[in-house]
Amino acid sequence: MTTADPTPAPRKARSTWTPGQIALTAVAAALSLVWMAPLAWALSTSLKTPTESVTSPHWIPQHLTAASWKSVIEAGNIPNWFVNSLVVSVCVTFVVLLVAALAGYGFARTEFRGKSALMALTMAGLMFSPAILGVPLFATVQSLGMVDTYWGMILPQCAPAAMVYILYKFFQSLPRELEEAAFIDGAGRWRIFFTIVLPLSKPSLSAVGIFTFIASWNNFLWPYMVTNNPDLMTMPNGIATVQNSFGIIWPQLMAGGLIAGLPLIVVFVFFQSQIVRGVAHTGLAGQ
Amino acid sequence: MTTTLAPATGLRPRAATATESARARWGRRFQHGGWFVAPFFVLYGLFVVVPVVRGLYLSLTDANISGDHTRFIGLDNYREALQDHLVWNSLWHSVQFTLYVVPCIVVVALLMALIAHHITHLKWLWRLCFFAPFLLPSAVVGNLWWWLFQPTNGMVNHVLGIDTPWLTQKSTAMIAVVVATLWWTVGFSFLLYLAALQNIPHHLYEAAELDGANAFQRMLHITVPNLRNITGLVLALQVLASLQVFDQAVVMYQFGPGPEESTRTFVQYTLEQGFTSYRVGYASAISFILFLIIAAVALGRMWLLRLREEDAR
Amino acid sequence: MARPGLNRRQLLSAVGGLTVAGSLGFAALGTGADALASGASTRVRYWNLFTGGDGANMVAMVDAFRKEHPGIAVKDSTLTWGDPYYTKLAMAAAGNRAPDLSVMHQGRVPGFAPGRLLDPWDMNLLTKYGVREADFNPVLWKRGIVDGKLYALPLDIHVQLSFYRTDVCRKAGLLDADGRLPTANSTDDWFAMLKEAKKQLKGGQQTLGLHAFDQNFSWWFFVAFYQQLGGGYFDDERTDVTFDTDKATQVLEFLHQHVADGYTIVGQADGEAFLAGSPFVWEGNWSVPYFSGEKVGYGAQPLPPVFGTPATHAESHSFVLPHQADRGGPANEGAHLLAAYMVKHATAWAGGGHVPAYLPTFQDPAYLKLTPQNEYSRPAMEHPATEPRIWFAGSTGTLAKRIGPVVASSNVGSAKPEAAARRMKSVLEELLAMRNPMDGRTAAQELKGTAA
Repeated sequence: MTTADPTPAPRKARSTWTPGQIALTAVAAALSLVWMAPLAWALSTSLKTPTESVTSPHWIPQHLTAASWKSVIEAGNIPNWFVNSLVVSVCVTFVVLLVAALAGYGFARTEFRGKSALMALTMAGLMFSPAILGVPLFATVQSLGMVDTYWGMILPQCAPAAMVYILYKFFQSLPRELEEAAFIDGAGRWRIFFTIVLPLSKPSLSAVGIFTFIASWNNFLWPYMVTNNPDLMTMPNGIATVQNSFGIIWPQLMAGGLIAGLPLIVVFVFFQSQIVRGVAHTGLAGQ
Repeated sequence: MTTTLAPATGLRPRAATATESARARWGRRFQHGGWFVAPFFVLYGLFVVVPVVRGLYLSLTDANISGDHTRFIGLDNYREALQDHLVWNSLWHSVQFTLYVVPCIVVVALLMALIAHHITHLKWLWRLCFFAPFLLPSAVVGNLWWWLFQPTNGMVNHVLGIDTPWLTQKSTAMIAVVVATLWWTVGFSFLLYLAALQNIPHHLYEAAELDGANAFQRMLHITVPNLRNITGLVLALQVLASLQVFDQAVVMYQFGPGPEESTRTFVQYTLEQGFTSYRVGYASAISFILFLIIAAVALGRMWLLRLREEDAR
Repeated sequence: MARPGLNRRQLLSAVGGLTVAGSLGFAALGTGADALASGASTRVRYWNLFTGGDGANMVAMVDAFRKEHPGIAVKDSTLTWGDPYYTKLAMAAAGNRAPDLSVMHQGRVPGFAPGRLLDPWDMNLLTKYGVREADFNPVLWKRGIVDGKLYALPLDIHVQLSFYRTDVCRKAGLLDADGRLPTANSTDDWFAMLKEAKKQLKGGQQTLGLHAFDQNFSWWFFVAFYQQLGGGYFDDERTDVTFDTDKATQVLEFLHQHVADGYTIVGQADGEAFLAGSPFVWEGNWSVPYFSGEKVGYGAQPLPPVFGTPATHAESHSFVLPHQADRGGPANEGAHLLAAYMVKHATAWAGGGHVPAYLPTFQDPAYLKLTPQNEYSRPAMEHPATEPRIWFAGSTGTLAKRIGPVVASSNVGSAKPEAAARRMKSVLEELLAMRNPMDGRTAAQELKGTAA
């Protein structure tokens, strides 16, 4: 296994539009069309008037209007939820990176009593998720007094055994020579970790970070359980449980959904190769 | 940036050159590595270990959401769960969902990956199109498909030229959730397959080509065997995730159980018991049923992997 | 993409660092962005579940209140009706983060642990703000009292109605001299009407919107017709199920016949179909503003008394005080003031089709002018069919959730009416034997006041 290089695998230079390529491109275009159609429909709906959206279905709005976008941004809680989502996801990503890198390194490179038992405990944690543990997890967070707080949303997302495992594997694969050399030069363990190991691990850390951020940004279940105050809800949670007082207005629902979904897609367009590598790497580490 | 990103190989660069004495000192000096893992275990203890233990305790009580009047009732909750037909009914829905969605994801993801790998033009565009839905929050996906499946105004019926009431009849309700999920999550498995395809050493294909193998034979004899591991991984990840399905199904059916209760998933039933019927004790008990199943799947996979490793040896 | 230049990289890491620092700081503050922005002296957090026309009316009423009481900042939040709302309300009360005031269906009050998840109203404060028992529908007021204390301050009664389009019915020759639909007093009368109306329709249009697959509507309609037949659910001691499966079968057969005879097409968007020309729809009275907004001539009556005695399903919106350990102070007074204001300004609320609980409203000429409210409000108020008053009942409660799907499955034809009726009875038996999770007692034990 070498690298998940985004550039095409080195093929022999030949005329690029072979019949095979034309057919392949046609299939890809068709499939992409199918995959993009729902988003296009959402966009088209969001630009229609509420009345037009429920009359006979059609793709191109007869009266283009940004009214739904405007009213969603002005009237709703959406800007508020956006900030909440950002705060929660950034904090989760930061804490996860810090905690998982430390723990992964601890497991990969240091010795301490009970290490193998703790490692086994961490592995067991791979089998739990808020979907399974939701009710008791809520009871625990409730007795910590963290229902309806940012920390109540953030901290329970910050103990991902999977990320520790991924970074543990990564640190194990790093050659020891650099660290040993630094050690012989008299550097301490923490200094080695922060000045040598972390910079070397940027690709892995960014992979884990990207994955964590996406997962946290899109996390619905846990914030749904732990927040009741609409002021504190994150984007996905708010969209699903708080209603516009004026009922289901499809154009507004779609505009709200696009506002919630677009930031990550835009980020993806700009950082495509990093994100692809991050997600693929994090997923592959489960092998 | 083409840094190596492959920690998952079995090859560990053991530095045989390092002197034994340095190795020994190295080991001795870092006895206190426990501090490295401490922050993680504080969080892990609070939000994984404590809830598990607490859940086990709660499952033996009749605790309600307000936390008072809790009595120890032994195994009554488990006894009740075994006879509660909604437990089995909702479990079946989660299993049914898994059975439908996982094969679809594997096939479509593989197809997409093969296309994106072999195509030479506009690679980034196809990758963007296939992967983008994965970046949407589940609630947005749920709302979106709720709208797309509307019988008279929705896109699906409009495009297909039919008037199926997808979301209001038992026979299509779960299919609607499966379609939405496939559209939403296939991008993740697609990327895994794509990465795996790119990791197949190119010289294998070149050698085969020299031997006169055609494209189909190369696919059959090189690509397919090399994707075995990744398919196992995709299957495992998707089965584990699908058994825990909740978000998109509840949003598409406005937190209800779907037509004739045909889409109530197991996680949904747990949360209904815990948070809507306020029976925290009972909900904890049935949570462990799902846990047992998830654990069985996870351990089963580990066992299979080990078997295979032994075979390879 | 190209390797970013050093400056850009520095910029990115600076931005990243600031975001992380800002987020951590924000999280440490622990309040939402919105709370930081608000500066009013008294802040009343008020939750409701009103959307559509109701939502618009509620927003207008809250705005009017704000104008009259500028010192009180009302932070109103609308949560999705049904499970999300009641789940969040219970969890907020259990987690001691409850709003100051909220709306609750009266039928849900017994199951919502009055005294634990709900606080009683302060009668002195209510009196101070002009709320007197004598001004209220006595049945509703009494239903809000638990253990001698008022927990639910009634706002309205809302009922299920039979809406009819005057244009189609006139063409079918169904209307009387006043342009109203005569009452159908038997199932034969009713189906005869549907038959006549159906002749006016194009193919593919349904005659009656019945929400046949919807577990809530199915259950509400069942409650109405079952009461018309005089059927009961439990004995007075709450120890036995007295559910009459023969009567239930009769009701289920009646409901299913609409589907079987092709008057109802399962899966049609019933409200929209009505606006598009379908002559009848059974809907909650909350559809009045929706239909009135669309310039369609229509009338509305209680569900037809096809089994002889009039009765239509009724629930009631009421105001409750979710439990707060430290309830009191200006926010609590503000909650009392806001609730008092809203129950007394019921004419505005009645625009949403609801029948006001505040009786002086019936003297308000503006209210009496409202159509079609004046056609249905009196008869509906006089013949309400309610769910049994028991901890698992109430709008979208456990009872509706368990029994509604059974009715729906009979409606759409996937279960035989007799089998569904038997199934309903066994659901009732299971629930009656079940302990209320809030106090660990069965309904019978609760009634007798015995300990768990």
